[in-house]
Amino acid sequence: MTKQRSFNSKTFRQVLLPALALLLVGCGVNNVTIEGSFPTPNISKLPLSVAVYYDDALKQFAYLEYSETGSEEYNIESGQSHVELFDAVLPAMFENVVEITDMEQAQAQNVDAVFMPLIEEFQLALPSKTKLDVYEVWIKYNMRLVTPEGDYIADWVLTSYGKTPTETFRSVEAGINEAAIVALRDLASSFSLTFTQVPEVRDWLASI
Amino acid sequence: MNSYGLQNRAKVFVLIAFGFLSACTSTTVDEFRQGETGIESHESVVVLGRRQASDYETDSDFVECVGERMARGDGAINVVPEQEFVDAMFPWFEPRTAPLRTRDLETLMAEDVVARKMGEFGIRYIVWVDGFTETTDRQGSISCTIGPGGGGCFGFGTWEDDANFDARVWDVGSLTNVGTINTDASGQSYLPALVVPIPLIARVEANACSRLATQLKEFVQGS
Repeated sequence: MTKQRSFNSKTFRQVLLPALALLLVGCGVNNVTIEGSFPTPNISKLPLSVAVYYDDALKQFAYLEYSETGSEEYNIESGQSHVELFDAVLPAMFENVVEITDMEQAQAQNVDAVFMPLIEEFQLALPSKTKLDVYEVWIKYNMRLVTPEGDYIADWVLTSYGKTPTETFRSVEAGINEAAIVALRDLASSFSLTFTQVPEVRDWLASI
Repeated sequence: MNSYGLQNRAKVFVLIAFGFLSACTSTTVDEFRQGETGIESHESVVVLGRRQASDYETDSDFVECVGERMARGDGAINVVPEQEFVDAMFPWFEPRTAPLRTRDLETLMAEDVVARKMGEFGIRYIVWVDGFTETTDRQGSISCTIGPGGGGCFGFGTWEDDANFDARVWDVGSLTNVGTINTDASGQSYLPALVVPIPLIARVEANACSRLATQLKEFVQGS
């Protein structure tokens, strides 16, 4: 009898507990970390020294997509990929780029301006909801440029959009990642090409 | 009968079976020439897909197929792969920033970095491929069952594929549109199922790719 009880307890620990854990994981939220590579923009550099400040809201940005029943379905972590994107784009746009961890470092670095990107909104369209064969990602950014002392230079909104090609056999995670990478490329192209056309930036560039 | 004769018979049987398994496709190619063309051995072509439309985007596999076919066979042309070109020219050929008209290309070539990179690749022609393949007239049904004694499928399905692609050729030297080639291919596919489904697929996109690539190769060579 003792032997039987010990066998049951062992079976419970070795088989049922992992199975239960797997079942719970299956019902939980799916984590998707956006990963990809970004080409360096092929543009003329501006003769500026710029500091970039990534605040925690950007570095740890994650978006939660809810299912139609209201439960958490996908947790999309794109903060790190945004940092990688700006790290690839900014050195191609400006003569000198330094990353700072707080605004006090900006004055010590003797830079012309401090760039602070922020994600304001993230939207996702899944084929299961739209009934289309494509995944779509739309992101709204608030781009801010301030002096090393923290005074306002420019503050503008940029949106980016990405979608996957039509394809039936693709995992949801791969579809979200692909659409997000296209959206990030879109951000890089519009940011690098329109930076000097932002009226406040244009006025500031003319004044220095 | 010796083994050599058996092998030959097997080959003939496979060829006949393959012929039966491929459904018919009809392809029409129209060419509209607007300027003189010609290409030197040190010059190259890049084939790019149009992706600015909201309701469709040109399939990158089709674009790759056209480029690959232009780069092989008689009179092969140097073709720069699409992704390599788009990455090297980033951010000028992204869906939102790519030039839509030759006037835009003129503005783009005024940028030193763009002109230099274009020179490094030796690009003489940019081919813009725009189009998609549509599946229509889906009919029939197939049902499959499985049991302890085995399984099987019964029924019949059919559909029509229509591939329509335009290829605009821009001369990077003269910054003009030198011509347009249109390919329209359509074909009916069948899927009868008698225990095992037997797909008789019309190779519409493959035929459109092959015919478009052949025509483009002759077009840029000026023949």
